[in-house]
Amino acid sequence: MRRYLTPFLFLSPATLLILLFFFTPVVATILLSFTDLSTTTFKNPSWVGLKNYQDLLADPFLKKIFLNTVKYVALTLAFNVGMGLLLALLTSLVPERYGDPFRALWLLPRILPPVVYVFIWQGLLAEAPMGLVSDILGVSKNWLVAAPWTVVILANGFVGASFGMLIFTSAIRSISRELFYAAAVDGATTWQTIRRVVLPMLAWPILFVTAYQTLSLLTSFEYILLLTDGGPGFYTTEVWSLRAYHLALSNYFGNVEFGLGAAMAAVLVVIGVVVSLFYLKIFNFKALVTEPKIEIY
Amino acid sequence: MKAGRYVLAAVLFFGLALAQKTITLKAWTIGPDDPSITRLKNLEAAVERLNALLEIEGADYRVKLEGDFDTTDWDPYLRRVLLAFQSGEAPDIVQASAAPLIGVWATAGYIAPITAETSKYGTFKDVFPTLWNAVTFKGEVFGVPQDTEARPLYFNKTLLKKLGWSDAKIAELPKMIERGEFTWDDMLAVAKEALDKGVIERGKGYYHRPKNGPDFHMWYRAFGGTSYDEATGKLVFDQQAALRYFTWLKKAVDAGVLEKDRLDGNWSRFHENVTSGKVLFFSGGTWNWAEWKTQWVKDKGGEDWLWQNFGFAPQPAYKKGGKPITLSNPQAYMVSANSKHKELAAKILAFVMMPDLDARHAVGSGHLPVLQATASLTGDRFIREVSYLLNYTTFAPQHPDFPKWQDALYRGVSAVESGQVSPEEAVRVVAAEMKRALKDQVMIK
Repeated sequence: MRRYLTPFLFLSPATLLILLFFFTPVVATILLSFTDLSTTTFKNPSWVGLKNYQDLLADPFLKKIFLNTVKYVALTLAFNVGMGLLLALLTSLVPERYGDPFRALWLLPRILPPVVYVFIWQGLLAEAPMGLVSDILGVSKNWLVAAPWTVVILANGFVGASFGMLIFTSAIRSISRELFYAAAVDGATTWQTIRRVVLPMLAWPILFVTAYQTLSLLTSFEYILLLTDGGPGFYTTEVWSLRAYHLALSNYFGNVEFGLGAAMAAVLVVIGVVVSLFYLKIFNFKALVTEPKIEIY
Repeated sequence: MKAGRYVLAAVLFFGLALAQKTITLKAWTIGPDDPSITRLKNLEAAVERLNALLEIEGADYRVKLEGDFDTTDWDPYLRRVLLAFQSGEAPDIVQASAAPLIGVWATAGYIAPITAETSKYGTFKDVFPTLWNAVTFKGEVFGVPQDTEARPLYFNKTLLKKLGWSDAKIAELPKMIERGEFTWDDMLAVAKEALDKGVIERGKGYYHRPKNGPDFHMWYRAFGGTSYDEATGKLVFDQQAALRYFTWLKKAVDAGVLEKDRLDGNWSRFHENVTSGKVLFFSGGTWNWAEWKTQWVKDKGGEDWLWQNFGFAPQPAYKKGGKPITLSNPQAYMVSANSKHKELAAKILAFVMMPDLDARHAVGSGHLPVLQATASLTGDRFIREVSYLLNYTTFAPQHPDFPKWQDALYRGVSAVESGQVSPEEAVRVVAAEMKRALKDQVMIK
């Protein structure tokens, strides 16, 4: 009994938090998704079983929204990880006094409140004479409406890239100097050093950033909500989580469907779990967490 | 002796003052347009008047109002109200669109019926009778009309002149629309001509609102659609009418008269282009007139500039000889079901039903009065000249599921306008979405 007491004491705070803030909402969402809870039935919701899920499958727009989500997550993720890696490598190759301020600059989008950040984007992309992009290009267009996907991905990407940048930079910094010296002695070019020394050492951070960003992109919709609200036009940039939000919390005359929205959210939970397992599999998680065969001191 | 009497009086006075209760009521109101702040200011004035009367009556309580006026948008406001209702912390008085919100909230049990109160106070008797329909649900009155409005088709007189129209012809345009001689197709032809002759830029022949709203239901009805069946109490979707409407939208986009991305969600851009005189025809609301006057053309001459440049008419019919249309979305004050002071809240609403307050709101915000006495009281030219549109008005059906109906129709409009699907396909998509969301509550014709 005593054997388990110490680990239990150490694990219980985190376990409690996970139960309270992660597990309970998931259970609540799933339970909600089996009810017809909406504005009008709030006082007397009834149990409807799988009806909300049947409704979802019958939704003629669901395929479009699903494909939008795949597009949004894949492209933004590629930008976030790629740009984060590029920034980390570039700023690590130059002396710290140049690299550090440059990295700080890339943190700006992240520390700005989303509403302010989106206002800046909208301002830049407006028609001439207000919009800077229109002014510079000499073509007066509302660029947000003309190229909504590019804007959505860039606006999210500029925020997301700094996350990867920070993680990768610290990972690069923690690579033992001796490895670089050894590579230099062997006559490796910069590219070869990156390819053969740095990148293999970054496998774990890349897995972490990829997995973490995939999951957060699946559920994040605030920048899309503020930029396009799923438009312009017909579900052009509406993604799964935004649709769930629209169903559960937003309607012109305020008649919202919590049950249906919860069903969409529950599907997202399942997708999230499946994606996580997939990542663990392809990045060979077990091998990553085994003890290293060589230790460098 | 005398001093003793003063002391006694003072003791009595302060004693009374201490015994006097202050009852605090909360009220939430929304524009979202800035000039509609009188929706709150009028409530405050009513409370002041009520307190003055309580003073005279020597009542042992006074009323304090904690008011809030929202200028963000309907969506966040209604979400806030909904969450407040659900957590049992709703304000005593809530203002919102009468139809269909009264249907939605009364069904949910969030608002209290006030039928008895509205027949108790005399001030309610002067309300335009038709407006009571908008606040009545299943035979009970659930709100007090706050204002109403109409949604005109505006036209730019200066641009029409550039196109070669005479003053007489421009002045005749609203009458032609009333008689059903100038239809949506005629409007499209005029706008196309303006584009071809370089009078307007591409896409600026016709503007409508940039996001979801009750107007799309109005245009669907302008194209001959019905949305509600009185006999069964069910919503209706008329596929032929929707097809006519969607086809018109497609023709307008293809002709370069209507922007493909008109639904860009940006009201500022709408007002900016309209008030810089670039747009030939545009559907808006009467309250836009107040916004333009006070916010957009203030430096150009204010209302005079509007009279010189803009004219208004009902929304045209879709075929020759048809009836034009507009839509009113009356606002109402409602009393929440969990209020501890329902009687008092209703009393405040009785004090708000004063012609001077009604007039102040109508003139200041470009809405139309709810009291019959007000119309004669105000000398405002716009109110006087635009009020005839109410002869052509329609309301949203008081059906709790109407919001879903409207959302589905709006999706169809956005799909056609952005060129993502054909009008025929859009009708099918809307019908399918309505069937999914409304089940047996909608009849697809």
